[in-house]
Amino acid sequence: MSGDESTNPDISRRGFLVGSGTVVAAVAASAIEAPEAAPPPAIAVDPGVPHSTIALTVNGVAQRLDVEDRWTLVEVLRDRLGLTGTKIGCDRGECGACTVLVDDTPVYACSQLAVWMDGRRITTVEGLSSGNTLSPLQQAFVAHDGPQCGFCTSGQIMSATALLKRLPHPAASDVKAALSGNLCRCGNYNRYVEAVVAAGAATGSGGGEQ
Amino acid sequence: MSVQDPRSPSIAPLATVGRATPRIDAIERVTGRAKYTNDVQLPGMLYARVLRSPHPHARIRSIDASKARALQGVKAIITRENCQVVWGAGGIAGGQQYNDDVKKITTQRRYAFNNPVRFVGDPVAAVAAESRHLAEQAIRLIAVDYEVLPFVLDPEAALAPDAPKIWPEGNLAVNNKNEPAPQIQKRGDAAAAFAGAAHVFEDRYSTAFVHNAQMEPRSCVAAWEGDKLTVYTPTGGIANCQHDMARDLGIPDEKVRVVSQYMGGNFGNKNQNQDADLIAAVLAKEAGAPVKLELSRKEDFIGVHGRWPTIQHYKIAVDADGTLQAIQLRGFSGMGPYRKNSGAMAGIELYKCPNIDVTVTPVYTNRTVSGNFRGPEFPQGFFGIQSMMDDVAWRMKLDPVEFGLKNMARLFRDETPFTNYTLDECITKGAELFEWKKRWRPTPGSDAGPIKRGAGFTYMMFRSGLGQSNAVVQVDGSGKYTVFVGVTDVGAGAKTTMALIAAEALAVPLSRLTVVWGDTDRCPYSVGESGSRTTIQTGSAVIEAARGLKQQIAEKGMPSGSQTLVASASPNPKVADGKVRQAFGAHFVEVEVDTELGGVRLTKYVAVHDCGRIINPLAATSQILGSAVMGVGMALHENLVYDARSGQPLTAGFYYDRIPTHMDAPDVDVTFVENDDGYGAFGAKSIGEAGIVLSPGAINNAIFNAIGRRLKDLPITRDKILGALA
Repeated sequence: MSGDESTNPDISRRGFLVGSGTVVAAVAASAIEAPEAAPPPAIAVDPGVPHSTIALTVNGVAQRLDVEDRWTLVEVLRDRLGLTGTKIGCDRGECGACTVLVDDTPVYACSQLAVWMDGRRITTVEGLSSGNTLSPLQQAFVAHDGPQCGFCTSGQIMSATALLKRLPHPAASDVKAALSGNLCRCGNYNRYVEAVVAAGAATGSGGGEQ
Repeated sequence: MSVQDPRSPSIAPLATVGRATPRIDAIERVTGRAKYTNDVQLPGMLYARVLRSPHPHARIRSIDASKARALQGVKAIITRENCQVVWGAGGIAGGQQYNDDVKKITTQRRYAFNNPVRFVGDPVAAVAAESRHLAEQAIRLIAVDYEVLPFVLDPEAALAPDAPKIWPEGNLAVNNKNEPAPQIQKRGDAAAAFAGAAHVFEDRYSTAFVHNAQMEPRSCVAAWEGDKLTVYTPTGGIANCQHDMARDLGIPDEKVRVVSQYMGGNFGNKNQNQDADLIAAVLAKEAGAPVKLELSRKEDFIGVHGRWPTIQHYKIAVDADGTLQAIQLRGFSGMGPYRKNSGAMAGIELYKCPNIDVTVTPVYTNRTVSGNFRGPEFPQGFFGIQSMMDDVAWRMKLDPVEFGLKNMARLFRDETPFTNYTLDECITKGAELFEWKKRWRPTPGSDAGPIKRGAGFTYMMFRSGLGQSNAVVQVDGSGKYTVFVGVTDVGAGAKTTMALIAAEALAVPLSRLTVVWGDTDRCPYSVGESGSRTTIQTGSAVIEAARGLKQQIAEKGMPSGSQTLVASASPNPKVADGKVRQAFGAHFVEVEVDTELGGVRLTKYVAVHDCGRIINPLAATSQILGSAVMGVGMALHENLVYDARSGQPLTAGFYYDRIPTHMDAPDVDVTFVENDDGYGAFGAKSIGEAGIVLSPGAINNAIFNAIGRRLKDLPITRDKILGALA
């Protein structure tokens, strides 16, 4: 699955940055941002409360997990699997910061119990890139200054990824409708729409996948 | 994938500064790799929750936490009984943050836990437990015996003699001398001018409490190693937060480390510590383990802060040809029960006027605390005065653009020259790009049919003063440069801005630079990201440190092997000749109003800004786009509504508060009028707050032009439009 979701290896970060006329090369990421080893699971099952074993495929990797029945999908992703790219903005289905793909459908991971996801295929923002090789959509988000604070960005990208699978060359109005469940308090909606339209226009089959 | 460059090139280009540059951390932000506070996980970390007052005003008789304490896995419980920490930055007389002297004289102290509690959401107790579910369970087991007290929500009602007193001294908020007094500004003789004027107009405008509503709900991770505290927290000012934590906890500054690597939006009053930081630190000490405190979205709405709501009574005198003679404002700001900030109202200074009489009264109420939110006193005041002046122009049968050009200030407060002045240019350029003469209806509401269009405009100036900040720049033996700045990068792109400024000043490619930020153990003091001043102040420090480093390189040669050369700078530049430095701008909006359903749609939006030299056109444009959209929310949607009978907040959260979505955002055309007045970093002025101050007034004026009815109370919701048309 992560193979399907990851990016065109021919479009490296360097190549895309040079390719955009008014854009100059970015500074390498700071040393203090170097990827760290995954942190230990922050949550453990309390044997005193109802719990279940579920099977999930997350970013192409099959997982068997013991989970408390009260845990949401986003808790499992963030605190059990360390996939903290998925954010919690409201924890009650209002903002879309926690959007992930379940099979190919964008869902709010805060509003799904993990036990309901048994047997399902989950894609998070971490499943879209490989190292510094970004999906065309992620590249467009960089070039068009999509993230300001960046907290809603993962959710915007996941909703847009689902849109591009369904509609490879969306118009601005399609993008606004598809991303209307993803709030951005920085108000950078113009940029997000530009980025998704550009990603659709730049690729043969849509920007969300190869 | 080309990115439009919105600048009008009126100044000499530089090598690196001024080129549209993707953020240096953009890849981290689009891959999910960027670590925000809540992404920090430490071994043995506990989870914390806060119990908050369900009453708008109540005295706590007793708290029984015995059942919660007995729950297995609960590691610490704190209440007012065992935690008397004062949150200095949460209730400073006069809102003088960063001023320890003012904090000392404050008699109206805000504690981490208060008794009496003075708003729904005031913290009462906090729990640290082995899981978040356990902490939530424990919170529910704490029994609090409240003596419910009478409350008041409306600022004008709170000043009535028989109003419930929120503080023993009364509800008029105390200033930075700890004295209850309104803010007064006078010039000339307004009373005489009103008596002799050809025309006098009076009206009342109001604005609502708008929550910051940054996407990242407040959280904090606190950990002690011996007597040293590390706080991971979303703050726009790591150095000020460090000092606040040390002062409030009674420990030396160097015993506190504040880390804020990524922050999910700021929007004001976060250049300091928060009560959540103090509560997490005390819990961590008590429990002997790291603690992660997470606020729910509802808690963030009611327990943090937002824009102070205002009531504005204006009286305006003009002579027979529409020249302003006098402006009077009687304003009231609702501060909540603690005076966290000024409660001021800006806008009068936009006009050339010989007679000014302003009294603004900040008032305590039993609502969520008000604080600085993006352009603290500007969007409220500008909405009021620029709606009022648009109305005066209409009553005087003048085009509002002509009325503005005729009456706007060309000297600051009619006496002090600006370092440069481009307000005329911003207005005339905007009018031309917008096609004002075509879109503005000489007769408001004249469109046939139920869908009516109209156009409105506002203009602004915003402080761009100079001031002190610090930076360190180093080069190592491999020729790699490192810039150390105490910025967080709250979303405005400060890291990239600092890198561009350093690359320009050092005359090296951006690719040879690294920026170190967001960690008090690694960065020098920086002024902190508030007041739109990071680019100006910290940017100037970067330039000066880079100059010092270049000089060292010239004297000693480039370092080799394990050698490094380091230069630091702490400049505190001043504007010469007592001049005032301001950014300028104008927004033009066309709306379509559905007179049957009351809906408003923005069909054209032109924003023209002079923000000095633009360091990064990509990020600068995003700042204007985003703040204009945020202003749409303030104009049409957002309001933390309270139930008058129960004092309960009714619209906490994104859904009920209705912050703008993709469907609400207009396409905004941004143009920069660039200038270099010789100050700031390469001539840069303020940007971050400039956009939001203009949109609410411009939208309201466009609605008037469309329907011929003046709306006076924000937010302009459908019911108000239909009511005005009825």
